[in-house]
Amino acid sequence: MSTRTAGEGLTRARKGVAVAGPGTPGGRRVTQRPGASRLTLFAFAAPALFLLVLLNVYPLLYAAYQSLRDGSLIAAGDFVGLENYTKVLVDPAFWAAARFTVIFTLVGVFGSWFLGLALAILLKTRIPGKTVFRVLLLLPWVVPVVVSATAWNWLVATPQSPMPRLAEALGLGNVLFLANPVLAQVTVCVFKVWISFPFMMMMMAAALESVDNNVYEAAKVDGASRWNELTNITLPMISRSTYISWILMTIFCVNDFPTIYLLTGGGPVNATQSLVVLAYNTVFQNFRTGPGVAVAFLMTLVLVVISVVLYRQIRKVQIL
Amino acid sequence: MVSKSGLSRRSFLGMGAAALATPALLAGCSKGGGSAGGGGGGSTEPLKFWNMPWGQTKFNPLDEQITKAYKPAEGMPPVSYQVIQWANFNQTFASAVASRTNPAVSSGGGTQVFQFEAQGGIAYADDLYATWKENGLYDDFLPGLIDTLKVEKGYAAIPYNLDMRVLWYNKALLEQVGAKVPTDWQSFMDAAAELKKNNIYGYGTGAGAGAYTGQHALVCWMINNGGGLFDENKQPNCVTPENIEAVDFILEMVSKGYVDPASSTYTSDNVQSQWKAKKFGMGFDTGGLAANVSGDVSKDLEVMSPLSSPSGKKGALYFPNNIMMYANNPNKKGTEAFLTYYYQNMAPLWTQNTGIGLPPLKSISQTKEFQANKNNVKIIEEWQPISKTWAAPGTEANFLNVTTVDATPAMNVFTQSILGGKTDSKTALQKLQDEVKTNLK
Repeated sequence: MSTRTAGEGLTRARKGVAVAGPGTPGGRRVTQRPGASRLTLFAFAAPALFLLVLLNVYPLLYAAYQSLRDGSLIAAGDFVGLENYTKVLVDPAFWAAARFTVIFTLVGVFGSWFLGLALAILLKTRIPGKTVFRVLLLLPWVVPVVVSATAWNWLVATPQSPMPRLAEALGLGNVLFLANPVLAQVTVCVFKVWISFPFMMMMMAAALESVDNNVYEAAKVDGASRWNELTNITLPMISRSTYISWILMTIFCVNDFPTIYLLTGGGPVNATQSLVVLAYNTVFQNFRTGPGVAVAFLMTLVLVVISVVLYRQIRKVQIL
Repeated sequence: MVSKSGLSRRSFLGMGAAALATPALLAGCSKGGGSAGGGGGGSTEPLKFWNMPWGQTKFNPLDEQITKAYKPAEGMPPVSYQVIQWANFNQTFASAVASRTNPAVSSGGGTQVFQFEAQGGIAYADDLYATWKENGLYDDFLPGLIDTLKVEKGYAAIPYNLDMRVLWYNKALLEQVGAKVPTDWQSFMDAAAELKKNNIYGYGTGAGAGAYTGQHALVCWMINNGGGLFDENKQPNCVTPENIEAVDFILEMVSKGYVDPASSTYTSDNVQSQWKAKKFGMGFDTGGLAANVSGDVSKDLEVMSPLSSPSGKKGALYFPNNIMMYANNPNKKGTEAFLTYYYQNMAPLWTQNTGIGLPPLKSISQTKEFQANKNNVKIIEEWQPISKTWAAPGTEANFLNVTTVDATPAMNVFTQSILGGKTDSKTALQKLQDEVKTNLK
């Protein structure tokens, strides 16, 4: 029987390998569970499994079934195979929506992360009224999006709204924040960053708490600048939380319907129509269930790929 | 140090499950097949009546009061009342019909009846009309109204309230600039030019999130000129000389600055705030604009007489909102008995100014309370007789495929592109026609 040092065991444990090594551990007794016990275990798990199937798997399979049919809101329609997918993929509206979804997601994820991280670092310093600031900064996340969207509409919609008046006072002329396609995209993205940064701030604040202050003190002794501390200590040490927050925010952004729909409805002329808005419009306004669900499935496929790539990054940066 | 370990199967499935939320959310949006037929038995269980918030806050309480005052005859069922909000109403009704939990009778979107009728989900009103011909109720409907709901197999629904699109103007603003109330397209353009001198938009409209009046207004101009979106074969026929002329007229107003450049994204609230801020001088809106705008401006808002178009015709778009009976119905006779009571007793919804659209019955429009509102009287007398449905100019009655233009993304994009002014009429109309054809049922 081989003997291992404590250090070897710890290293193996960190790598996710059992201390006793792979395969059946030497000298370990293998006990067979009696059939009745397995049944008991299954019985305990059955309600949860049933709910999982009912709430997740069944709708998913049914959605897949719908995406292969030419149905409407109240009729299943005929089986059309992959026709809905091919039609969607050659539709310029799909690609325009995909393009905006990418822009919206990139700005939403990195904009809110950058702002959230900056504020989390700021709130870690000794500033007066820190608790009050922390609560106030959470408001955009806490307030229902329908209220936020109404407030933003009031801020930017008409020439008499505060933001267009401010722009005019600054000599920028009559700025159409929602009626100009490019500005509407910018406005929607900024709105997304505004309602999302508190989430990122919380994630980053929690991650920053886990960084030992001794590391910073040691770095200072070595003459590290603030920038060096940020790039060589803070960011690497919170990278796992960062990737997790990116994954979550990517899912939030790609699936975000109310932010866009309430502010612009996807307009003007589809300029701010994301894939999820396109899916909604196709199903609930054009009453074409098959292509609408096909859009949602294609969107999901991309989301899974992005999530997997980011998840692999998390595993790569595991610090031992 | 960096671990080289990859993604586990469990992790992959976990990530996938998280990301797969979207199609799952859309999964419940249609039924598994078949149609909601049958019904019509003799149950004495309470019948479900679903009604929408058609007016202001006092509408539904009064409507419920009228419903609950119904005393069924021996052997007939009572009726329960439920308010259905406009938010996501399509899903609400579609889910109910698909799961056979639909009400016995309901109002709803003006064209939803045609979707349900095409799927066999509607009980026809022919028997009901037969009894109403005997008690005089049938003849009480405004001219032509009942026929707007006639389909191949019978009458799909009963007209309930009229959602009109009419031209409004701010009398005080027109007087300030010395402009006359327009009577035709040219005088409308001239008045808009005068209003512009005071930084007032001559053509107030909106086509932003959830605002469909801007779409309706464009079709009003087309119908006014003898055009419209469907031909006599009920096929989309958008690129016609009448429609091109109408769209060119709007594009000219856009290019001359008579239309608020932000209109394409205005919500209904934005439009009303512009009327309230005296930034809009004229424009198409619902019959309830003056009540919705409220404040001191509302007294200056008056309904214009229908304009004479270049073609010499007059017309506008209107929506005969309706009440429908469902095929999956525990007691059709009981439902008809309730509707007879309801139509004979619903006048207070108009005489007490609850904000509902205009009445379908002549007797209500002749009450002194209704006659006290000169705008409403003008709408009934001058606009209702010339107004047409989405089916114009081909047919009078609506049909299933009007749902391809009623508040659809295609119409929204069309309207926003016109109000943005960066297109030409033929291109925009052709694109609309192509899109509508794609969505035909």
